[in-house]
Amino acid sequence: MLSHLVIDATLYNGDSIFYVVTFLLLMWLVKIFAWGPITKMMQQRSDKISDDIDHAEKSRAEAATLADQRQEALKGSRVEAQQIVSTAKSDGQEQRGQIIDKAEADAQALKAKAKDDIAQEREAALVSARNDVADLSIEIASKLIQRELNASDQKELIDSYIEGLGKPHES
Amino acid sequence: MGSGTVSTFQIWKLTFSTANVLSGLVVFILAFAVIFFTSRHVSMRPSKGQNFLEWLIDFTNGILGGSIPAKEVSGFGLWGFTLFLFLFLSNQLGLFFNVAINGSAIVRSPTSDPIVTLTMSMMTVALANYAGLHKWGTKGYLTSFIKPSPMFLASNLFEQVSSFLTLGLRIFGIIFSGEVLLEMVWTFAESKGIPTLIAAVPIEMAWQGLSVFLGSIQAYVFLTLSSVYIGRQLEGE
Repeated sequence: MLSHLVIDATLYNGDSIFYVVTFLLLMWLVKIFAWGPITKMMQQRSDKISDDIDHAEKSRAEAATLADQRQEALKGSRVEAQQIVSTAKSDGQEQRGQIIDKAEADAQALKAKAKDDIAQEREAALVSARNDVADLSIEIASKLIQRELNASDQKELIDSYIEGLGKPHES
Repeated sequence: MGSGTVSTFQIWKLTFSTANVLSGLVVFILAFAVIFFTSRHVSMRPSKGQNFLEWLIDFTNGILGGSIPAKEVSGFGLWGFTLFLFLFLSNQLGLFFNVAINGSAIVRSPTSDPIVTLTMSMMTVALANYAGLHKWGTKGYLTSFIKPSPMFLASNLFEQVSSFLTLGLRIFGIIFSGEVLLEMVWTFAESKGIPTLIAAVPIEMAWQGLSVFLGSIQAYVFLTLSSVYIGRQLEGE
C-alpha cells in the first residue's frame, strides 16, 4: 500500500471500497433523477429552438412572397384602373363628337327641308294665285263681253298682262 | 483529524474509519438532495432549480470539453458532473459541519483524508486508461506506452503513477491544511476565554471564506486535470 508515503498512515482499505461504491451509487442516482431528464430536456429545448428558428425563417420567406404578390397585384390594379379611366375618356370624347356631328347633320337637313318646303309652298301659292286671277278675270270678262272665251287663250292674255305689269317695276 | 484517536470498525476483515464512512454518507445524502430537489419539475422553460442544475451541467461539460475531444465528451458528462458535485460538497462539508466525539472526528471533509482523495484519483486514472483501452484496442493501448520510443516506457508508466498521486494528494493537501488551520484558530479562540474568542471570529471567518474558495477551486482543478488525463489517453500520443 501507499500508506508509507502519506501523512499519519491512517489509510483504511475499507474506506476505499466504500467510496468507490458510494460514488458509483451516487452517479447512478444522479443519472436517474437529474442527468437523464435534464439532458433530455436540454436536448429537446435545443431541438425546439432550432425548429423554431427554421420555422420562423420559413414563415418570414412566406410573408415576403405574399407581400410581393400583393404589391404586384396592387400595381396591376392601378394600371387597370388607369386603363379603364382612359378608355372611358376616349369613349366619351368619341361619343361627344358623334353626337355633335349628328346634331349638326340633323339641323342641316332640317334647314334644307324647311327651305325646300318654303320654296314649294311659295310656288304653289303663286300658281294658285295665277289660276285664281285667271279664273276671276275670265269670269269678269265673260260677264263683261258676254262671250265665252277659250280659257287657255284667256290665261295667255293674263300672263302677258301680268308680265307687262311686272316690267315697269323691275327696271 | 490527525490529532485525536481514530474511531474504526471492521467488516469482513476490511477496516473502515467511522469518520470517512459517516462523512461520505453525509456528502452522498447532500449531493442526492441537491440533484433531487433541483430536478423536480423538469420543463421546457426551466425554473430556479432546473436553471441551477443546467448551469452546473453546462459548467462541468465545459470543463470536460476543454480537454476531451468534442466527439467523445458526452460519454464522460455524467461522470464529470457527479465527480465535481461530490468533491465540491466534500470540500465544503468540513468547513461548516465538523463533528468530533471524544477528540476523534466523526464528520468532516472526506477529502481531508488521503484515502478518499486517492480513491478518487485512482478512479480517474482507471477511467482514463479504460477509455484509452476502449478506443484504441489492447494493442493500440499497450503500444501507447512505448511511444515515441521504447525508451519512454519507464517514464510513461511513471507518469501514470505520478498522475494518480498528484491528483489525489493536491486536493487532500489543500483541504487537510484548511481544516488544520481552522482547528488551530479554534484552539487559539479557546485559549484565553472571551477576548481571544472575539479576536478569533474574524480570523475564522476570513479563513473559512478562503477555504470555500480553495475548496471550489480544488474541485474544479481535480475535474480539469482528470479530463486532461482522459483527453491524453483518447488523443493518443
